[in-house]
Amino acid sequence: MANDQALRETAAPPRLSVYNIEKSFPGVNALTGVSFNVAKGEVHALLGENGAGKSTLIKIVSGVFPPDRGEVIVDGKPVNLARPDDARRAGIATIYQELLLFPELTVAENVFMGHAPRAGLGRLDWRAMREKTRHLLAALEIHDLHADRVVGSLSVGNRQRVEILRALSQDARILIMDEPTAALTEYDVTRLFDIVRKLKARGVAVIYISHRLDEIFAIADRVTVLRDGAHIATKRVADTAAAELVQLMVGRKIESLFPKITLPIGGPVLEVKDLERRPLTKRISLTVRAGEIVGLAGLVGSGRSELAQTIFGVTPAEGGEIKIRGQAVYIRSPAQARTLGIAYVPEDRGTQGLVRPMTVRENFSLAALGKVAFGGFIDRAAERKLASDGVKCFAVKTSSLEQIAGKLSGGNQQKIVLGKWLANKPKLLILDEPTRGIDVGAKAEIHRLMGELAAQGLAILMISSELPEVLGMSDRVLVMREGRIVAEFLREDATQETVGAAMMGSHESAEKVA
Amino acid sequence: MSEIPLPQIAKRVAPWWLLRHETMLALILFVALIILGALNNRFLTLDNLLNQGRLTTEVGLIALPMTFIIITGGIDLSVGSIVGLCAILLGYSWKTFGFPLPLAIAFTLVVGATAGFFNGVGITRLRVPPLIMTIATLALYRGLAEGISQARSVRGYPEWFYFIGQSDLFGVPAQLWLLLIAIVVAGIALDRTTFGRTLYAIGNNETAARFSGLPVDRAKLIIYTLSGLMAGLSAVVLVSRVTTTRSDMGIGYELDVIATVVLGGTSIFGGVGTIWGTVVGLAMIQLLKNGLALTGVKGDATIVVIGTVLILSTLVASLLQRRRGV
Repeated sequence: MANDQALRETAAPPRLSVYNIEKSFPGVNALTGVSFNVAKGEVHALLGENGAGKSTLIKIVSGVFPPDRGEVIVDGKPVNLARPDDARRAGIATIYQELLLFPELTVAENVFMGHAPRAGLGRLDWRAMREKTRHLLAALEIHDLHADRVVGSLSVGNRQRVEILRALSQDARILIMDEPTAALTEYDVTRLFDIVRKLKARGVAVIYISHRLDEIFAIADRVTVLRDGAHIATKRVADTAAAELVQLMVGRKIESLFPKITLPIGGPVLEVKDLERRPLTKRISLTVRAGEIVGLAGLVGSGRSELAQTIFGVTPAEGGEIKIRGQAVYIRSPAQARTLGIAYVPEDRGTQGLVRPMTVRENFSLAALGKVAFGGFIDRAAERKLASDGVKCFAVKTSSLEQIAGKLSGGNQQKIVLGKWLANKPKLLILDEPTRGIDVGAKAEIHRLMGELAAQGLAILMISSELPEVLGMSDRVLVMREGRIVAEFLREDATQETVGAAMMGSHESAEKVA
Repeated sequence: MSEIPLPQIAKRVAPWWLLRHETMLALILFVALIILGALNNRFLTLDNLLNQGRLTTEVGLIALPMTFIIITGGIDLSVGSIVGLCAILLGYSWKTFGFPLPLAIAFTLVVGATAGFFNGVGITRLRVPPLIMTIATLALYRGLAEGISQARSVRGYPEWFYFIGQSDLFGVPAQLWLLLIAIVVAGIALDRTTFGRTLYAIGNNETAARFSGLPVDRAKLIIYTLSGLMAGLSAVVLVSRVTTTRSDMGIGYELDVIATVVLGGTSIFGGVGTIWGTVVGLAMIQLLKNGLALTGVKGDATIVVIGTVLILSTLVASLLQRRRGV
């Protein structure tokens, strides 16, 4: 395999190498003999679908749980990582997707939490703490972040920088970043990359996990692909291409990422006129027709999710009109929206979409309990059938219907959230970031499903921050900015440039608003 | 090799039902019964056990809706005060208003339900956290009870009224039938209906429950109202058993009730719990109290034992959870 060659490539002992790591959980082999290494000053990307074993591998390297077999070697010496503290002492720091900061404390306090400089008698040396924080900020050339700011008031991008500072303050020589850009704006991504390059220059070895291939090509030196817990390949980024990586990752060829079928479009399903819900929904008018996919583009915070939740009755409208299939309605609650045939697949799968501790079966029937209950009594056979049909139809990878839903991979969780709504046979489907944080294979599958659903006459309103997805899937693209719809493009007129400009609010696009 | 899907059923150390909190508790209860029975020959007699059932009915009736509430991640601390208020109003409406006793009983139940409904409105409409809301009404309802009663007690009810609390029906204490029916209804409602499923969904993830179109606020309103109603019923049973009404009735009930529910394996964080567990918890607390008292353990020591059992059962529960990897 290419693996061994890659291992031998670096002459000096690599900063970190893991060798033949195996780990199994009851019922699953999470990792089966994975080896890879990271050199000093290298950015090494880990790539794989959800459930491929990336998270398990990272947790082993950061000491969350020990491997069943195999070795972790830092600077040529085997280390025993039984607890997170062991990893910290070995110079390994991990930045998780969910940042672990104290929002009420300042930047300096967060950076030095747990290892603050002391000034005799166990007192904290506040001066030194601030001073050291300022040094770290200067070293990374971050000039717009003050050591005394309260972390809760910072943007996500800045909070992430605080985590990086925290890692550096502990002299981390190996930094693991788990999908660091998942919640970042484009600008913050650029700044993150600047910092990663500086870390490289300082000799820090970075393990970088991301689903976004373009990022890997922008920042990584080498990439290791995992699939089903096994090491598939390690490649130099310069010697590979996106298509090859996708194929390695999925284990099959993905025909097209956006299988758009042009369909006859029917009558209006959703008509919204002058919809108001302050502060982020301002005089919104839009129409979605049967069989049509309308993309809703915009920056984070432009009011797209707020609009969706107003239509869905989570935050009922304060003014304006909503018509469902020509009928004027006033939607006060999600329960009412559901009976009107509206389905909403929310942005935040973990907290809004899925009841994670409940089983796959219970999650599938959650929005369609009326369909499997008679006189309030749940018909268990009918419920099981509903769930098993859903699992089959959406190809959900689960050990059984009684599996705890939160233990499935992100893509499979998303399929359940989507599936539970389709059990209701809705007329209008609102998708809020339907493929965020899920892997290429599951993504393609969800796109294929969207196409099929539209073909069955469903009206789809899709919110997405990923421009290629919006452009690839939509019949029409609406652009929101600061709570208003500022532009509308037909499929053929929508390009990266026109839509992007409307999102940012540059001049030319403002004139295009009809 | 890794491409071949592995058999998905993991080997288990023990069957799932044995690892359940309720089963463990039932086993402990069984062992405790045998030990206490061996220490004292009056303990394991049918008469004594039935009598313990009579004594525990008042707490049991309230523990059922409390199980619902705690499953949603809520709490109702005002139940003891509702018992007091209802008991007072039962006597007051009969003696002072001159209501016929059946009407007075109905009135009492309505008052209980209203008191619970008021809690529910505060929690769902005004978004007051359940702990705060019911701590406030704990004081409020007790204050009302004391204000109305003016420290006078009411006695001398007609003879038929004592049937509920003091007589037997088919050899079993009358109120125990009431409790048994309530247990069956509550058990089915929680396990088999969309209402029960809604409660579990709320406790596990309220936002997702709401986003799935489940009637979250309505369900909460129902369970708090139910809690008040059952506290009212409990007051009627209590008054019938002890033949008098005083404003300090039901003081501390909330703690007995919550201890029962939590001992029965319902998670105080919500999402987990069964009526069956609550029933075992109820039996456990009452029989421990009684068994220890009969064996000559003093009252204070009994409380210490119950506290210890509660802590141990919580430990067992968290060990089991870790094992399941939740």
